[in-house]
Amino acid sequence: MIRINPIIRLVNRNLTISINPGFIIWQILFPLIYIFVAGFAYTALIDSVPFGGKNLDYPAFLASGMIGFNIMNSTLISGIIIWNDRRHGMFEQIMSGPFTRTHYILSNIVTIGIIGLFSAALITAVGYPVFFDSVEFNIVTIPLIIFGSVVGAILFGSIASIISVKLRSSEGFNVIINTVFLFCAFASTAFYPVQGAPQPLATIFYLNPLSYLVDIIRAGIFGQVTDFVITEMLVLVGLAAILFVIATKLLTKLDF
Amino acid sequence: MLCIETKDLRKKYASTVAVDGVDLQIESGQVFGFLGPNGAGKSTVIKLLTTLISPSNGKISVLGIDSAKHPLEIRKKIGVVLQQPSYEPTLSAEKSLEKYGMMWNIDKKIRKKRTEELLSAFGLEEIRKKKMDDLSIGQRRRVQVAREFMHDMDLLFLDEPTVGLDPAARRKLLDFLREQVKNSGLTIFYTTHVLSEAEYLCDNIAIINNGKIMAVDSPSELKNRFGHEKTIKIHISTVSEELKSKLSTIPECQIKLEPEPTVIINSTKSEIVLMNILKILNETDTKINDLSAIPTNLEEIFLKVVGDSN
Ligand SMILES: Nc1ncnc2c1ncn2[C@@H]1O[C@H](COP(=O)(O)OP(=O)(O)OP(=O)(O)O)[C@@H](O)[C@H]1O
Ligand SMILES: [Mg+2]
Repeated sequence: MIRINPIIRLVNRNLTISINPGFIIWQILFPLIYIFVAGFAYTALIDSVPFGGKNLDYPAFLASGMIGFNIMNSTLISGIIIWNDRRHGMFEQIMSGPFTRTHYILSNIVTIGIIGLFSAALITAVGYPVFFDSVEFNIVTIPLIIFGSVVGAILFGSIASIISVKLRSSEGFNVIINTVFLFCAFASTAFYPVQGAPQPLATIFYLNPLSYLVDIIRAGIFGQVTDFVITEMLVLVGLAAILFVIATKLLTKLDF
Repeated sequence: MLCIETKDLRKKYASTVAVDGVDLQIESGQVFGFLGPNGAGKSTVIKLLTTLISPSNGKISVLGIDSAKHPLEIRKKIGVVLQQPSYEPTLSAEKSLEKYGMMWNIDKKIRKKRTEELLSAFGLEEIRKKKMDDLSIGQRRRVQVAREFMHDMDLLFLDEPTVGLDPAARRKLLDFLREQVKNSGLTIFYTTHVLSEAEYLCDNIAIINNGKIMAVDSPSELKNRFGHEKTIKIHISTVSEELKSKLSTIPECQIKLEPEPTVIINSTKSEIVLMNILKILNETDTKINDLSAIPTNLEEIFLKVVGDSN
């Protein structure tokens, strides 16, 4: 018998239970429709967006923002898995089987990593014609995109996990997680440029980790790695590390 | 070989002592019944033995492995059906078994074969394509128990596995479990509140109350030990003062007037006491309306052991 790594076995399970038509529609179809419908509809209102040393047209700006948004969205999966596992007794069942808590936590990270990268790649591929003109992929920027995706996935995955550990009721979980994620989505630079926003909103944009993630991914796609983006990377990594430690602590302490 | 051994096992929660100094020595290759009233500590002992929680005090050895040192090694060799339901709501019954086998690293071919065998053994063929979310509670429980047999194990913990099962499914499960113990040398640690079930299935039984073990023995030995105190009831027509005073010399009997006059014998030597009482009834010209002896079963022993300890 070939021994398959326990983390891979759990990832296999996670993907089997999470991937369903509803999820795929939310994860793939919605961003694509949004890019094409909103992207072109708003072009009339938003002419061009300055980014680094470049001027991007709005569809290109939006499509690149959508990648960050999609990574954040895919991390909802880890919250949903943990929450469902606790609600339906699978957490205890797995923990009484040939797995450790570390296996469980790592398998969730790998799962959101896979879904995050997959959907980022998909949006990049489909959105490519939209931002084709301004793209500047190179040896620095592609690793930057992957790095940003992974750190962002860990950061938002940790937030989703913390919420799922802390909340027991179904209503509470759904309300809180949707509020947090919706707030992150719309109070960020994913859909609107910070330049057009009034001052208080602009401040809120930069209290929101999604703005950092989106900026890093944009910097990667359009080859505009400025000092500000490097600072954003450091903040993102620091925040992800702190939230990850908290999420892991909470999961490790979870009682039966 | 000792399959489970615990020494002075204790588990304290903030305000309760759930397990209070449990010493167990359980041999392999048997069904070991673990009985006790609600809140006695059965599930807590199972969670301790399966390494889900750690003890406040004491030592646990399962399959010869120290649970404090190598919990994962224990978990790799045991199967667990906990008291609460566990299932993947979005998977079908069939897929649940299949995926569970995958999680236990069972070869794909073997997985397929076992899935078919178990679907048939647990009468799940008709609902194999149904989603777990759409199953009835008893059907879901059957899948949960069946699922555990997807992987090989030396020791299986079953915490009230028959709750919600209909009588036929219940009997089918008990026979399936017996078969497994006979054929593969599996050891089963079994809790239930249905004492006839324990009597049918278990080779040995422990009774736990308030976190303490009250008795451990085979069902027949338990009956010998605790059940030899038989109860005989004699329904009589009237109770005279003379009868009262004569019966008061026999401590093993008591007189009840409601709902009808009855002499109740409660004794380890109830046959001898009965002879004496019959003599007295004869002397006092008391008519006997009816006479009944209550046979001992596990339920009575359970009630007695638990009652005494309270
Ligand atoms: N997580 C917990 N926190 C606090 N107390 C607990 C916890 N788990 C169990 N207890 C307490 O420990 C005692 C034993 O509980 P346990 O679940 O082991 O009982 P049981 O014998 O399995 O009962 P039942 O037959 O109802 O399943 C109970 O008094 C219960 O309230
Ligand atoms: Mg219990």
